[in-house]
Amino acid sequence: MSQNQHIERFQKGWKIFIKNPLGKTGVTLLLIFMLMAIASFFIPLIDPMYDPMTGIDPLIKTSTGPSMQHFLGTDNVGRDLFAQLMEGAKIAFIVGLSSAFISIVMGTVIGMISGYAGGMTDIILMRMADIIMIMPSLVILLILASLFGQFNIWIIVFIIAIMRWPAVSRIIRSQTLSLKSRPFIEASRVAGASNIRIIFRHIMPNVLPLAFLYMTFRVTSAILVEAALSFLGFGDPSQVSWGMMLQWVWKSGYMFQAPYWMIPPGLCISLLTLSFYMLGRAMDEVLDPRLRKEEEER
Amino acid sequence: MEDKEKRPIPVMELKGVTKEYCLRDSFFSRGSTCVIAMNNVNLAIQKGEIFGLVGQSGSGKTTTGRLMVKLENPSKGVIKLNGEPLSNIQGKALKSYRSKVQMIFQDPYQSLNPHLSISETILEPLIVNKIGDAHSREQKVINTLDIVGLAPAREYYNRYPHQLSGGQRQRVAIARAIVLDPEFIVADEPTSMLDATIAIQLFKLLKQIRKKYNMAFLFITHNLAAAKYLCDRIAVIHNGVIVETGSTNVVIRYPQHPYTKKLIETHPGFNF
Ligand SMILES: Nc1ncnc2c1ncn2[C@@H]1O[C@H](COP(=O)(O)OP(=O)(O)OP(=O)(O)O)[C@@H](O)[C@H]1O
Ligand SMILES: [Mg+2]
Repeated sequence: MSQNQHIERFQKGWKIFIKNPLGKTGVTLLLIFMLMAIASFFIPLIDPMYDPMTGIDPLIKTSTGPSMQHFLGTDNVGRDLFAQLMEGAKIAFIVGLSSAFISIVMGTVIGMISGYAGGMTDIILMRMADIIMIMPSLVILLILASLFGQFNIWIIVFIIAIMRWPAVSRIIRSQTLSLKSRPFIEASRVAGASNIRIIFRHIMPNVLPLAFLYMTFRVTSAILVEAALSFLGFGDPSQVSWGMMLQWVWKSGYMFQAPYWMIPPGLCISLLTLSFYMLGRAMDEVLDPRLRKEEEER
Repeated sequence: MEDKEKRPIPVMELKGVTKEYCLRDSFFSRGSTCVIAMNNVNLAIQKGEIFGLVGQSGSGKTTTGRLMVKLENPSKGVIKLNGEPLSNIQGKALKSYRSKVQMIFQDPYQSLNPHLSISETILEPLIVNKIGDAHSREQKVINTLDIVGLAPAREYYNRYPHQLSGGQRQRVAIARAIVLDPEFIVADEPTSMLDATIAIQLFKLLKQIRKKYNMAFLFITHNLAAAKYLCDRIAVIHNGVIVETGSTNVVIRYPQHPYTKKLIETHPGFNF
């Protein structure tokens, strides 16, 4: 029965969401990119020549424009750009989603603890958040990369996540503060519930929608940071990301001669981040009336 | 010693309890202003008794209740449960205290977590106090729902708070408070958010529960009529000071303190 209610609630939210023009566009774009990411698994199976990293067309020695063999052309060593673009979609999803997920989990847990515990714990955690928040994450990543050499993609994901939890934790903390003195939390304390239980059983379900909303915005910023890092030459050289494609077109000197090489990754970065952004805004509108409705129930 | 033998030990006793709330004036000045919410309060509530705490808004009623359930600690004075003082109890002792002293909150729209079903709400005290197994807990919840008049229990078991009326929600809150078979319950204006007819139903329910389990209640209200209907004894509180205590009928018929007299005179529709 409770299962049904969740489904019902979800369906209601989905209806509002999909009616919203932003939501519609966002979902459509996202579906296209998801198809691209899925396609990246199958393209190298057609012919090893289409492997985005190692597949080199033996007949081609320089960058060529679009053809029947290579829909988007090839790079300067003869690798297929279409295959690289699909692979880039996969990497963007991996980087964006995993980094957003880590920063949301960190931000939510730290925000709840900070808001609920108060006192010294709160002060220390929030000072830490402030310090990290004012640090420019791209610059920090660049400094770290120049100190330690090029990073593995997962380290990049993790560093982006660490740089991006503070804003989430601030929001979750203020939400927790307003929940903390609500009678249902006190009722649970009177019943003998531990702090851990109160945080995860009573506060978390109430802040989760907000955390989820923030996740879409974190995805956007993670993809952008990784792209910038890769473009500047500090990405993971063993992964074909869109930023990395831009770095290659720049380094090989084809920037202004091969628009078929330069434009697609740039466009994809913009459109994918845009679609997550639109998704977030549409979700905002779905969640908002529901939050308002819960207020009315008082 | 002799005194103790003659009189039964009260379930809940406050001795010289004072509670101050101090707020820093502003960020820059060192000074602070303090509100004295309770001033040298003495109360003794006996087993199975419904004890009324009557007073106007801001007189310190809720504060008294919150101290009794240990949501807050007194600034001065002692609180005793069954004669045992609880100054700085922690851990196991605190947990055992919590299972003996429960509270029903004022606003049923705020005291239930909107994300938990009715059964999850009532199960919580049993789970956190590790009472019984899954099956016996479920049975206990169903029995308790029956007792508080949410029958058939199966129908309410999986509902969520937003699917219940205010009166039904307050019954759920009562069920949560009694499911551990506590010895003492604080009921903080449990009907002030509800219609008069529903209020009377809930009063009857509280009386039934008292009769059945011999639990003691602190019934907080600003409504003398409600106190007269429900309470064996009452205390009148004014600006954090208990000005008068006695059996309900005596206090209402022969009020001694001028504040009590004023309270009775100004009370509208006092014809229970
Ligand atoms: N957390 C707090 N911080 C500061 N002052 C407080 C706090 N809680 C209560 N007070 C003050 O203590 C006094 C007593 O408050 P209390 O809530 O006990 O009154 P009450 O009798 O329950 O009133 P009502 O009938 O309106 O519920 C009030 O002056 C109130 O402003
Ligand atoms: Mg009150």
